[in-house]
Amino acid sequence: MLLEVTNLDSGYGFLQILRSVSLSIDEGEYVCIVGPNGAGKSTTLKSIAGLVTPSNGEILFKGEPIGGLPGNKVARKGISYISESLNLFTNMSVQENLYMGAYTIKDRKLQNDQLEFVYELFPRLEERKNQLAGTMSGGERKMLAIARGLMSNPTLLLVDEPSFGLAPQLTENVFASLDILKQGGMTILLVEQNIHKTLAVTDRGYVLENGKIEIEGKSSDLADDPHVKKVFLGV
Amino acid sequence: MLQTLLKGVFEWLKSAAGITILSSIVLAIVVAMNRGPFILVNVVVMGGIMALIAMGLAMVLGVMNVAQFAHGEYFMVGSLIAYLIFTPMAEYLNQNPSPVLAFLAPLLTIFCALIGGGLAGAITERLIFRELRKRSKENWVMNTFLLTVGISVILINGHQLLFGTDFKGIVRYWSGPPFSFYDMFMSRDRVYTMALAIIIVVCFWLFMSYTRTGRAIRAVSQDEIGALMVGINLDGIMTLTMAIGCALAAVSGGCLLYMYPSYPTVGLEPLYLAWIIVILVGLGNIMGAFVGGFVVALLKVVTVEYVGAGWDFVVPIAIIIIVLIFKPSGIFGTEVRGALDK
Repeated sequence: MLLEVTNLDSGYGFLQILRSVSLSIDEGEYVCIVGPNGAGKSTTLKSIAGLVTPSNGEILFKGEPIGGLPGNKVARKGISYISESLNLFTNMSVQENLYMGAYTIKDRKLQNDQLEFVYELFPRLEERKNQLAGTMSGGERKMLAIARGLMSNPTLLLVDEPSFGLAPQLTENVFASLDILKQGGMTILLVEQNIHKTLAVTDRGYVLENGKIEIEGKSSDLADDPHVKKVFLGV
Repeated sequence: MLQTLLKGVFEWLKSAAGITILSSIVLAIVVAMNRGPFILVNVVVMGGIMALIAMGLAMVLGVMNVAQFAHGEYFMVGSLIAYLIFTPMAEYLNQNPSPVLAFLAPLLTIFCALIGGGLAGAITERLIFRELRKRSKENWVMNTFLLTVGISVILINGHQLLFGTDFKGIVRYWSGPPFSFYDMFMSRDRVYTMALAIIIVVCFWLFMSYTRTGRAIRAVSQDEIGALMVGINLDGIMTLTMAIGCALAAVSGGCLLYMYPSYPTVGLEPLYLAWIIVILVGLGNIMGAFVGGFVVALLKVVTVEYVGAGWDFVVPIAIIIIVLIFKPSGIFGTEVRGALDK
């Protein structure tokens, strides 16, 4: 197992969001967490990424405990978190943002290799490399956030709501680029509201409700599950 | 191609930044033709040093979100270190004259002020702000503001307790006849400190723009969470920021020892000026603070020349009030999304 989360309790201050969440991801898998608003999907990702400190439970990454480490140390272990609000450096150019993504890589040549790789994946970013990140459109910013997350050459990509605030066409583009990454062997943990699309592209899924994992299984099985159908699809 | 370039230039000239810079240059030229070019020299000397102080303040504000009201006290620390180091060296040089050493001694003094200020800043951050950050982030702006006022009181009174209240000054750093340029005379101290200020500003700018660490500092000022996500160690960056900010204030204190002797409250005037500049250009905007240093220096020099020496604080502040009425985010806008809402 690449990532193993066992009995994770987490939340903000006195507010407990996650109750004994357990999940695991193998190398090369494309896994999703779906669930209604406020179920704790983002909190799960943030707890893994070290932006929220878990109060209980264990997070193992490549067999090493990473629960409770600050975000910068988690990032150095090879986990890239792409947040819902993107957290771009808005007053830096696209290229500078990308180089910041490779902050943990000291070797200039490796940095440039990664840069070439993400420019190949998102040619749009190369056209705009000198533009300030804050002046780009929503879709381009999303691409930049994903590209910046890839710059550190991560083993595990945590993606939070990539379709949030995007037009349907742009959402397709983002999903397509995640597919390409998956083909290339990247391990991805995806959190999404767009359940149709998500269950269609991922291998395996977890359904999170009120901070607990309710159902887990193959994405195709989940899509046929009567409970999921009733709660999310309204049929 | 040329057309788009010209259009860009015109657009910029119509922006608040363009209007300010253009009108400052025009004002400087008019005054220089009217009263003589020495005005320009005064502006550049004052402006360079004020830019140094204000850039440090802007950086601490932008990166750490700390309203630093003890900034002037690090200026005082720098001038005190410079005094304590330079006086024995000057005495030694009096007995054993040596032109090379006489040239190098002030440079060494100012370098020590820089290092001393940086260390003082790093220690302050480690002992005070990091501890606060670990415990509570609520009301961060207000709490840190009160802390800096406390630090200021401690440093002022510490100076008074340990070194007394008398003026600890020197007559000059570099002896020798003043440089003459056309029909103006400039003392060696002014020319050398101006050169030093410019070298430090350029080094600082290169550091912030092109080095990995400088980029990381800017990244933290633009998005703390984003910085954490790409693997930047926030604690280290905060300590470094505070150290650099305080070092810039201290090196200004060291450079200006011949104009401002060291005494407990010597830092108040530079502190007010730096805040005036930082508010005028937009909170946390480092490069804006550089330009603002020269603009405020020009206003001060012109006021002293035409209105009277007692008015040199009144006119810049009046102009700032007018600017803020029309452009509340400051002349250059601001990179920081409101120092208060982080």
